[in-house]
Amino acid sequence: MNKSSKFYRFINKEKNVGVIFCLPFIVGFLVFLIVPMGISLYYSFCDYDILSPPEFVGLKNYIEMFTQDEVFWHSVKATFYFALVSVPLRLIFALLVAMILVRPTKATGFYRAAYYLPSIIGGSVAVAILWKRMFAPDGVINSLLGLIGIDTNFAWLSDTRTAIWTLIILAIWQFGSSMLIFLSALKQIPKELYEAADVDGANKFTKFFKVTLPLLTPTIFFNLVMQIINGFLAFTQSLIITQGKPMDTTLFYAVYMYQQSFNFNQAGYASAMAWVMLLLIAVITFILFKTKRFWVYEQE
Amino acid sequence: MKKKSLKKAAVLAIAGAMAVTSLAACGGSDSGKDSEGGSSDSLTMAWWGNQVRNERTQQALDAYKEESGITVSGQFYQWGDYWSKMATSAAGKKMPDVIQMDMSYIQQYVDKGQLLDLTPYIEDGTLDTSNISEDIVNMGKVGDGIYGIAAGTSASCMFYNKTLLDELGITINDNMTLDEFIDISKQVYEETGYRSNLYHYGLYMDMYARANDIQASDKLGGDSADDYLPYFETLETGIKEGWQISPSQAADTDSVEEDLMVYGSNPDNMTWCTINGSAQLTAYQAAAPEGTEIALTTIPTTDPQKSNYVKPAMYFSVSADTANPEEAVKLLNYLTNSETAYDILLAERGVPASTAISEAIMDKLSPAEQENANFVNNVIAPNSSPMPPFPVEGSTEAQDLLRKLEEKVKYGEYTAQQAADEYFTEANKMLQGE
Repeated sequence: MNKSSKFYRFINKEKNVGVIFCLPFIVGFLVFLIVPMGISLYYSFCDYDILSPPEFVGLKNYIEMFTQDEVFWHSVKATFYFALVSVPLRLIFALLVAMILVRPTKATGFYRAAYYLPSIIGGSVAVAILWKRMFAPDGVINSLLGLIGIDTNFAWLSDTRTAIWTLIILAIWQFGSSMLIFLSALKQIPKELYEAADVDGANKFTKFFKVTLPLLTPTIFFNLVMQIINGFLAFTQSLIITQGKPMDTTLFYAVYMYQQSFNFNQAGYASAMAWVMLLLIAVITFILFKTKRFWVYEQE
Repeated sequence: MKKKSLKKAAVLAIAGAMAVTSLAACGGSDSGKDSEGGSSDSLTMAWWGNQVRNERTQQALDAYKEESGITVSGQFYQWGDYWSKMATSAAGKKMPDVIQMDMSYIQQYVDKGQLLDLTPYIEDGTLDTSNISEDIVNMGKVGDGIYGIAAGTSASCMFYNKTLLDELGITINDNMTLDEFIDISKQVYEETGYRSNLYHYGLYMDMYARANDIQASDKLGGDSADDYLPYFETLETGIKEGWQISPSQAADTDSVEEDLMVYGSNPDNMTWCTINGSAQLTAYQAAAPEGTEIALTTIPTTDPQKSNYVKPAMYFSVSADTANPEEAVKLLNYLTNSETAYDILLAERGVPASTAISEAIMDKLSPAEQENANFVNNVIAPNSSPMPPFPVEGSTEAQDLLRKLEEKVKYGEYTAQQAADEYFTEANKMLQGE
């Protein structure tokens, strides 16, 4: 290539190289995120049945959602219940396992990988189907209960009280990614602090509550925000294991949105639901950030 | 020096990337031309179904490739997923060339211009209908066009576990009334613990509405919620008396393989009967445990003659967006008139529409398929009423509402009166597009 050519000089400017290297992302972001979002915003003000062109109807979808659609509220309730119960439990569990695995032994590497596995496969369709079979009246869970003397044919998935708990347990089981983040945070806590605490005669519990926990709060906060957002977007488990049954108690917001769009062909309404969800998550994240100064310990 | 070579590498990489993308773009436009020009030798076909159907259809399509050189790639789904998939592909103008269609959706798809009018192809002989009775051809008539060819005829029916009833010494007579059915259900439940599943997936409403002369398509028939009260009352009674299965025993499903009549561990979470389309007999028999014989009869209503009807088990239709209508219609013709195809497909999609075919394959049919053919032609047809109008948009949502209301009554959350009231007002709104 001729070194004095215009192209060569153009591309060798620092500024241009940067932009060119970012281009794949920028194009992807615009084409696959911003444009579809814009379109979805427009559809949310339309009657759109997927098969024929959208028809502008103003705020009708939003008004219907908040005033007439009972199932919408069922789905909001189920989603909140799921997110607010499963996330704290998952974090507690993740922290517990991280505390155990932080001590270096020969098998630690193996266990870390083993405990991370559910997070990789847990969201998959295969595990969802496995879960469905486990909690069936003649599934593994009831057989195990039979072994310890509780003979039952209880249908876990079709009882209004227990169905959502099967999904919550599945969510807790996928604690791996939070666990890894906790692990690295635990390792960063300076040893001197524990030594100082030892000198002061602190026992294990005091050390955990006065040293470990405060220093972990930024990590807990990060995990909490990420997991709450994930919790609100839960989809696969409900769609495959329970289909929202029984009586909408496991009908997650995303599943209902999917039904509206692809089962009832009301994509306009589903788009409106998507935007309400976006706002909802924004508000919740905002509130979480506002509470930050009360409990998150930030190092100077 | 090092920096310079890095930059050089970057430039080369970018140039390379650009070349690749432009190549890809060329490739895209080339293949586009291919399919528009009609020289392509591949088609896609989609259907919903069960294991038996998937295997046989795939074999029939393989045989078509040997005969015509056209590769047809099959896509199959379960009923619920199938319609989600079709709606999204229709929106993207990417519907498979040949699709399996159902009478509950055909009106909507035609209204939206998604299906190809087959009339010209029937006229020029590409699609040969000379062996199909006019009644059956007209089953695919929507407005002025023919938009689907019935793959076979079928009827809604009640399947039951014949082995179990034989042991109890109970004989089921066709055209039994609802009262007779309830008596049998009680007896079976008391003696064996097996329940019945008349209120299965919201399918019984069709029969109920026909028997009571309140079937309509663009709204609910009848004058008030009271017309629907007996429907939910029978369900309520069934749950109270125990003979109708409820989700607290086992969850209802739309899958044949997991239907509670053939899937479960003990009488407590299984049923002795279910309702579905008669063409599914082969699939139910295949899914049933070894040694269990499944039989079929009419669905019990207060007036079986009014509720019975012969219907297209399903249609084969061609997408309006197909790049290659000529070839797609030829495939349709193969699926309608080819003996090679039906040697494989047999009567899994119902009694074949072509009389020549149904005569030719009769001897090769399995006992289950012969039974279905006999049922449609000799039990339903002589004692039936005309086919109902095609359902309109909103009926899917109304059907979903019905299933939820049935569920609420089954759980005892709603009384029959509450369910009937909500069904009448809400389903009417959905059907009228509000």
